[in-house]
Amino acid sequence: MKKQEKILVKASVVIALLFAVAPTVNAMHIMEGYLPAGYCVAWGLICLPFLAAGFISLKNKIKTNRKNLTLIAMSGAFIFVISSLKIPSVTGSCSHMTGTGLGAILFGPASVSVLGIIVLVFQAVLLAHGGLTTLGANTFSMAVAGPIIAFGIYRLCGKLNVNRRVSIFLAVFLGDIFTYCVTSVQLALAYPSEVGGTAASAVKFLGVFAPTQLPLAVIEGILTVVIVIGLETYAVPELRNIGFLRGKEAE
Amino acid sequence: MIVIDKLCYQSKLRYINASEKFVYTVLTLILCIASRSAATAAVVFLVNVYLTVAKGGIPFARYAKLLLIPAAFLVASTTALMVNLSRMPLDAFAFPLGEWYLTGSISSVLAGLRLCGKALAAVTCLYFLSLTTVMTEILGVLKKLHVPGLVIELMMLIYRFIFLLMETASAIIISQNSRLGNRDYQTRVRSFGGMASALLVRSLKRSGTLYDAMEARCYDGELKILSEERPAEKKELFCIAGYELLLLGMVIWSWMR
Repeated sequence: MKKQEKILVKASVVIALLFAVAPTVNAMHIMEGYLPAGYCVAWGLICLPFLAAGFISLKNKIKTNRKNLTLIAMSGAFIFVISSLKIPSVTGSCSHMTGTGLGAILFGPASVSVLGIIVLVFQAVLLAHGGLTTLGANTFSMAVAGPIIAFGIYRLCGKLNVNRRVSIFLAVFLGDIFTYCVTSVQLALAYPSEVGGTAASAVKFLGVFAPTQLPLAVIEGILTVVIVIGLETYAVPELRNIGFLRGKEAE
Repeated sequence: MIVIDKLCYQSKLRYINASEKFVYTVLTLILCIASRSAATAAVVFLVNVYLTVAKGGIPFARYAKLLLIPAAFLVASTTALMVNLSRMPLDAFAFPLGEWYLTGSISSVLAGLRLCGKALAAVTCLYFLSLTTVMTEILGVLKKLHVPGLVIELMMLIYRFIFLLMETASAIIISQNSRLGNRDYQTRVRSFGGMASALLVRSLKRSGTLYDAMEARCYDGELKILSEERPAEKKELFCIAGYELLLLGMVIWSWMR
């Protein structure tokens, strides 16, 4: 074996072990009741302007064409279903993707903020991922911060003429990583460490969740690229309809 | 297809007034979060388990399994809360790592345990709502709370579409499995991607036909749904009010101490 191959094999063994240790890996929802009351309210308030912007953008979309209503609802259901399905992980343990990165790339970050909060409500009530009191914090990390970063990176890569598949991978991967960092900081702000304060606490949370979240971000990035390749092959008119492919890119 | 949804339709508490259950859940959640004592969490936990399992008739084994869903998050983040890396050993425990210690103090261990109890109690509140109240009824309550009509309508449609899409997805997954689509890791990734893109294409096409169907039935921008009103019983309301006042008293007491 070459040196590089050895490193690859070692890395895959490490990832496999990490997955074996953690039986279920969800995207990082803060569970119900884990944040103090003040923080629940504060994160909810921070989300409000983004939700209002998303609401207005959805309303305009529906005003221009009423048919968009079912389209938007379908996209929301798609994000939910994608995030509730088991994705292939290395050892067969079960893990789920966020789906919001793909949503942001396909439908834009404004629609994803409102769709995201709806999906999070459904995830809390129907799947017990996340919760009602932590809805504000989870909305900020998963439906606002992550999608905005993902969309920004996707656009930036488009401007810089990076290969589209690479840019999709980067966008989703970094969006997931950002979500995970934001969640860790949210937890750290609520529970600063007695040695070293908030910063030390953030490092601890980042460290504890890294083994599950880093491989998840890589896998979600790869899967999203595979999904988009499938879409580009079979669904060019539909993609143009939702505004993902503009005339030139599709050719 | 979704376990919680299925159990919810079987619950014996399903036909009780939805607003009543919603208000009970929200008040209990707020008091549970605001409280600083483990006793409040214990009371909330036991009462909710009693209501959902004994009164609602949800099988206890199922319920216990559901309680384990957030366990991974709970264990990981509580470890992060309790364990510190420091040069000085703290009072509860300390494992030496070269010059540093993996260590925690008694107060942080206690706080972590209290937080675990509080979070689990809050989870039982959430489960009370989701295991007794059907989603369409929750949406009815949200409508009464003046959540914008567009959001309610979107939620209603999304709730319906979730089941359509899950059915499609599971059919695709079954046919992929029967054609060795999950043979090894590479095919698994490719199958998942293919399934998801086929799902999106189908759902987009379906949304078009669905809109046509709705328009053919005189859809003019508002979905009208027949909701049955079941008045809340006075006895239940008094019980809830008494219980919440008791919790409020416990919360205030926990703050005073």
